[in-house]
Amino acid sequence: MIPINRMEAEAELRKFIGAEAYVHSEATSFLFVRNFKVRVTHAFIAGEGSFRAALRFDGHGWLRMEALTHFEVDGQGRLLLAGYDDRGRMNVALHLGREPFPE
Amino acid sequence: MNHEQAPKRKLLAVFAHPDDESFICGGTMAKYASEGVEITLVSATKGDMGRRMGNPPYLNRETMALAREQELREACDCLGIGRLIFFGIRDKTVEFEDEASLIGRIESLIREVEPDVVLTFHERYGGHPDHCAIGKAATAAFRRSADKGALYYITFGDAMERPERYGYTKKDVVRVDVQAHNAAKLAAFRAHRCQTEIDEWVWQSDKAALTRFGKYEYFLKGDVNATQRANDDLF
Repeated sequence: MIPINRMEAEAELRKFIGAEAYVHSEATSFLFVRNFKVRVTHAFIAGEGSFRAALRFDGHGWLRMEALTHFEVDGQGRLLLAGYDDRGRMNVALHLGREPFPE
Repeated sequence: MNHEQAPKRKLLAVFAHPDDESFICGGTMAKYASEGVEITLVSATKGDMGRRMGNPPYLNRETMALAREQELREACDCLGIGRLIFFGIRDKTVEFEDEASLIGRIESLIREVEPDVVLTFHERYGGHPDHCAIGKAATAAFRRSADKGALYYITFGDAMERPERYGYTKKDVVRVDVQAHNAAKLAAFRAHRCQTEIDEWVWQSDKAALTRFGKYEYFLKGDVNATQRANDDLF
């Protein structure tokens, strides 16, 4: 995972526009949702230092998340975004893949 | 002194996450392993939904399961745990597993291993929903299947030094002296690197770090009516 560069991370997120994506999203201490499938229509990353991500999907849905700090495209082409605190604890995560994530 | 003929003593521990075996009762694991007890450890999950991702962070949600599995294998080596079984349940979802099938899995394991001692979490005082759920299932499995042996609940830190506070008496508690095995316990803490990097004391000199461990680990008897056993030994 590397610190988010807004332009780069947004470009990666936008690669999912027009496609069906499987999503893992979590606010670590409170909830997670794994493998909901949506058709992404819009994708945004905003902020500096600590970032917001937003997806519009299926013509009627939003997903918005804040406190993202790091990202990577892993060896399987999945986009992994996460927010860590200053001691390595995860606050949030947002992952997109074209195949389901392991259950 | 000829121990050749003595039957192997066996311990089965049924826990929820990688690190439960080290952080809560690592000294006891190391002590009995060093005495030749065969230890089987069940970890219901791989701790894949944990919050600590290394410090600085080097894990993400998708890499965590494998990293923690490897850490647990290393910790088992440090403690002398010979057999490790994962149930493959997603972290934080143990309480939503089909209970009958979970009990069944543990029950067949008890019948296969025939342990003298079974360790698990107390179903109410486990401290985490996964702990309580695996403790409840393991307790039910033990009641059904153990023709011999004793069930104990692991407890946190020195809480059971004064069991009266929790509605128990000294009679309900076994206190194991683990002082001679805290070095192995420290090695196991360090094996769980992504979980312990945040705790500076773990990475100080051995001498300084070892002062953080208590001399004893405490266990609650799972069957208060069982024949009175020694209060400083699980076997």
